[in-house]
Amino acid sequence: MEEKKYAIEVNHIDRIFPIPGGEFQALKDINAKVEAGTLTILKGRSGSGKTTLMNIIGALDNPTNGSVCLDGVELGKLSDKEKEKLRRKQLGFVFQAVSLIPTMNAFQNVEFSMRLAGIKAGKERDRRVEECLNLVGLGKRMHHMPAEMSGGEQQRVAIARAIAHSPKLILADEPTAELDSAMAAQVTKLFQEMTRKENITILMTTHDVGLMDAGDMIIELENGQRIG
Amino acid sequence: MFKIMLQKLVSKKWMNLCLLLGSVLLIATVVSFPLYQAAAYDRMLQDVFRNYQAQEGDWPAYFEMNAASQKDKGGKTITKMENILGKISGDLGVTPKMQVYYYSLTQTMMASTMNRSDVGNISVRLSCMSDLDQHAKMLSGDMYSESGLNEEGEIEVVVSQAGLVNLKVLVGESFEFTDLKNAEGKKIRLKVVGVFDKADAGDVYWRVDPDQMDLILLMQPELFREMFTGDNAGKYTMNCSYFPMFEYEDITAAKMNGILEKVKYAVEEGPYKSTIRQPAFLDLMENYAKKQGRIQATLVILQIPVLIMLGAFLFMISGQMYDMERNEISVIKSRGSSRAQIFRLYLYQSFFLTCVGGVLGVPLGTLFSRILGSSRNFLEFEATSNLQIVYTREALYYTLGAMLATLLIMTLPAIKHSKISIVNLKQQKALKKKSWWEKIFLDIILLGVSGYGYYSFSKNTDNLAVNVLKGEPLDPLLYISSSLFIMGLGLLFLRLQPYLIQLVYLCGKKFWKPASYASFMENQKNGRKQQFIMLFLIMTISLGMYHATVARTILQNAVDNVEYLDGADVILKEVWSDNSSASSESGDSAFRYFEPDVTKYNTMDFAQGYAKVIYDTNAYIAKSGNSRQTITLMGIHTKEFGTNTSMPAGLNEKSYHEYLNELAVEEKGILVSENFKTKLGYKIGDTVEYKDNKDNKASGVIVDFVSYWPGYSPTHTVINPDGEPETTDEYLLIAHYNALRQTWGVTPYEIWISMKDGYSAQDVYQWVEENNLHLTKYVNKATDMEDTMSDPLLQGTNGVLTMGFIVTLLLCAVGYLIYWVMSIKSREMIFGVLRACGMHKGELFHMLMNEQLFSGILSILAGIGIGKLTSWLFVPMLQMAYAAANQVIPMRLITNPSDMIRLYIVIAGVVVVCLAVLIILIFKMNVAKALKLGEE
Repeated sequence: MEEKKYAIEVNHIDRIFPIPGGEFQALKDINAKVEAGTLTILKGRSGSGKTTLMNIIGALDNPTNGSVCLDGVELGKLSDKEKEKLRRKQLGFVFQAVSLIPTMNAFQNVEFSMRLAGIKAGKERDRRVEECLNLVGLGKRMHHMPAEMSGGEQQRVAIARAIAHSPKLILADEPTAELDSAMAAQVTKLFQEMTRKENITILMTTHDVGLMDAGDMIIELENGQRIG
Repeated sequence: MFKIMLQKLVSKKWMNLCLLLGSVLLIATVVSFPLYQAAAYDRMLQDVFRNYQAQEGDWPAYFEMNAASQKDKGGKTITKMENILGKISGDLGVTPKMQVYYYSLTQTMMASTMNRSDVGNISVRLSCMSDLDQHAKMLSGDMYSESGLNEEGEIEVVVSQAGLVNLKVLVGESFEFTDLKNAEGKKIRLKVVGVFDKADAGDVYWRVDPDQMDLILLMQPELFREMFTGDNAGKYTMNCSYFPMFEYEDITAAKMNGILEKVKYAVEEGPYKSTIRQPAFLDLMENYAKKQGRIQATLVILQIPVLIMLGAFLFMISGQMYDMERNEISVIKSRGSSRAQIFRLYLYQSFFLTCVGGVLGVPLGTLFSRILGSSRNFLEFEATSNLQIVYTREALYYTLGAMLATLLIMTLPAIKHSKISIVNLKQQKALKKKSWWEKIFLDIILLGVSGYGYYSFSKNTDNLAVNVLKGEPLDPLLYISSSLFIMGLGLLFLRLQPYLIQLVYLCGKKFWKPASYASFMENQKNGRKQQFIMLFLIMTISLGMYHATVARTILQNAVDNVEYLDGADVILKEVWSDNSSASSESGDSAFRYFEPDVTKYNTMDFAQGYAKVIYDTNAYIAKSGNSRQTITLMGIHTKEFGTNTSMPAGLNEKSYHEYLNELAVEEKGILVSENFKTKLGYKIGDTVEYKDNKDNKASGVIVDFVSYWPGYSPTHTVINPDGEPETTDEYLLIAHYNALRQTWGVTPYEIWISMKDGYSAQDVYQWVEENNLHLTKYVNKATDMEDTMSDPLLQGTNGVLTMGFIVTLLLCAVGYLIYWVMSIKSREMIFGVLRACGMHKGELFHMLMNEQLFSGILSILAGIGIGKLTSWLFVPMLQMAYAAANQVIPMRLITNPSDMIRLYIVIAGVVVVCLAVLIILIFKMNVAKALKLGEE
């Protein structure tokens, strides 16, 4: 029987940081399997290791022990170049803090991730940018600069940017932390829609209990260990 | 509060180190100017005194006071004079070197006690000179004893050689005065005990030369004072001379004006003015004071742009700091801190940095000025010349001023920033407004003002030359015009730069890779943030280039001018004897010169060769009526003259040797100056009849006209008594030496010598001495060159410009680096985002490289271009303001490639270091950590 390919497969991950006078174990033997096209919520208090796990899954950081496979590809076996290519083409990131490039307007920010993914300039690309911005409800504000938008709007642009190049996986680290609850619900709803419409896998961290229902799966961390 | 400040200092240690570096540099540079200037003025002043001493062989710093004491009851005159003598050094605040007094009784007859038949009564002046025993050596006999009396109660006296010969006294001979009696009324007896002379010929003690003491017998000074002054003074008449001498090293430039005033008062108005002779050093000081005024004004003007640059530098860094701390400030503000509290926090921090800056800056400034002091030429240092650094009051003011400026520059922006709460900040960030200077068109205004300055100066170039003749300082407007021009052009470039980049962007819109795209966006939206550093770069580079060109041009043109005007390395003319005294007796009517022995000219080891040149500045051409046109007549051997003289290329239409050849082939040919054509209406082929200063006639045919000729100045300008300039044309006529000799017979000539390498003016001087030549004319190019190069104005200008150049380079390097590193640090989070989006390190590097290209490299190129343009436009006028009154040959713009290479090396160094920092920062950058930053 052929083994099932998961969108994310985390096997026995440890992450140990050296700190002055010893070391700190941020993650302890984490295992998880996430199916494609689902919205998975990574929950836990701050300091529980959520961001560390996200960074490792996003190939921004390497685990001390264990392995991560994305769509059956083991990250540990990829070179830096290949990881970058992976990040450009298959991953999208949404960060807690507003992370738009301040010198580009909403349209250009979204377009930029497509440029990085190597998508050629042209009508097709412009159409896709507009489509993504429409999807997050900002079709009318696409020529505004980040500084001219509210935090929620900026975060939605960031989401649009994360999906524009049609990645397979979106990693969203506390995307709702700076938003009010109505806005947070809206963003979460958007994520849900996207998993359906675009068959994207989304892994999102949050500590907002109100959002837990939205997830297809919940992974809970405490003190670096998976407890649920 | 203090604790918060310290915590803040520690937590932002890099930023604060940068600020500290800025304030240290600012204070050090500011302090070094007055220190250097004061020390340089001192050196110049000492040079004046030293030159005087070397040339005159005399101590420059002394007074001579003479008084006659005529049967003065109680000896008040002498007491007063002696009082003054004791006080004078203290009054002037200088260290006494030596106090010499010289008392001399009126001539009195004395008779030998030996009843010599060969001499009758002798008229002598019994005198004394203080401390004679320490400065005289005995040629025969002994010095007078300590008591001044011998066992028989006779006064012991010594006599100079001149006195010995004139008075015909013998050593050991005793005399008795016929009239001169001591206080008790007994006739005074004396005995000649020895013959003295100067122990050391160069001893400054000898205010009265022993060779002049032909009537003088010198006795022990204490004994003299006891016998003839004080209560006894009423019985005697004597001359009293006092020579207070002091160390001229004590006359510093700072003290000089005070001393000058006191001395002037004493000589011209004081109660003892009749007794004081005008001292030599008064003239020296007055001349120097005049020069110093001009120098000081000029140097102050020259350093203004550098000081402004320094202020701008600090402002830029502190601006960067506030920019980075904006978030922090707005957060504190939003949490309820009052504006005053925030302001106080920054005030304390700035105060702390300023104080540390002062403590470190002053010694560094001293070091700067020492380095400067060893510069004798632009960017050339001499290890040997050491500058005596004195901390003047002026330096203190400068230090305090610099510290205050530092404090203000670092604190004032806090007022603006303390107003901003987080809400305002967000709003403010959204605005992308034009800079204030763009809105008021400052660039255009500056260019207009400097353009007007340029126009009015270039229209009145004559005025510049006249001001030089009048000894006025550099016109500040002229120099400021050039600085404003640089600034205006710099701003104009900043205005145009975004469009330029936009153009480049549009040209390749389809092809830009993400990294390039990101950098274009950064430049378009955030470019204005960089304007300050760009302007700074442009200004430092163009000012640096401009200053280098100014310094080189001024110096080189002065040197070239001497080179040209002197005509040859050495020119000498002997005294020629003639038969004018003999002819009247013998009845031989024909006037004749006697040619001196010419064989000695072959013994000049130092000469490469020499040429005989008839040189008559009082020859003339008869014009209609009785008027005449004075001309300078030169008679040359074309070949000899050509090999021993030279001319810079390009002054005349043809080459120097072509003219010589034209003359050589035409036996009756003459070359004449251009004004023969333009003013007198001659043309080639015309015959000119002329006469020498003795009215001997000759004529020649014009073969060509020359504008310049070794030693020839086409016009001559002087300031007439009304203070108006007067320019006269100078006419030159060059004929064949042989032709003149044939027509006129023996004619006095000069010897124009070209020197071999490795021989100095001293060798020439020695040869002249050895051959016992009497010269009526002596020109030595090497000495003239030395004088030109050591001109204080030129030296000072070199010093300040060198300093300016180095400081601007340093600022440029440090400023750009600091700015660049800070700006990268502040954008770390964005880099993290870009990395997370899949941008790799190489692309990030590429992006930053592009940004550096747009801001840095473009600014550097603009700076170079602006520097060149400004030099080309303004240096000729500045040079004129410096040129000697006798500047003849046209100005050449001098850029020394090595200066430019130095500039480029520093720039390249800065760029390389910036790149290195970039690489290090990017490769050390931890993406996850960078992202974390954003979360705080």
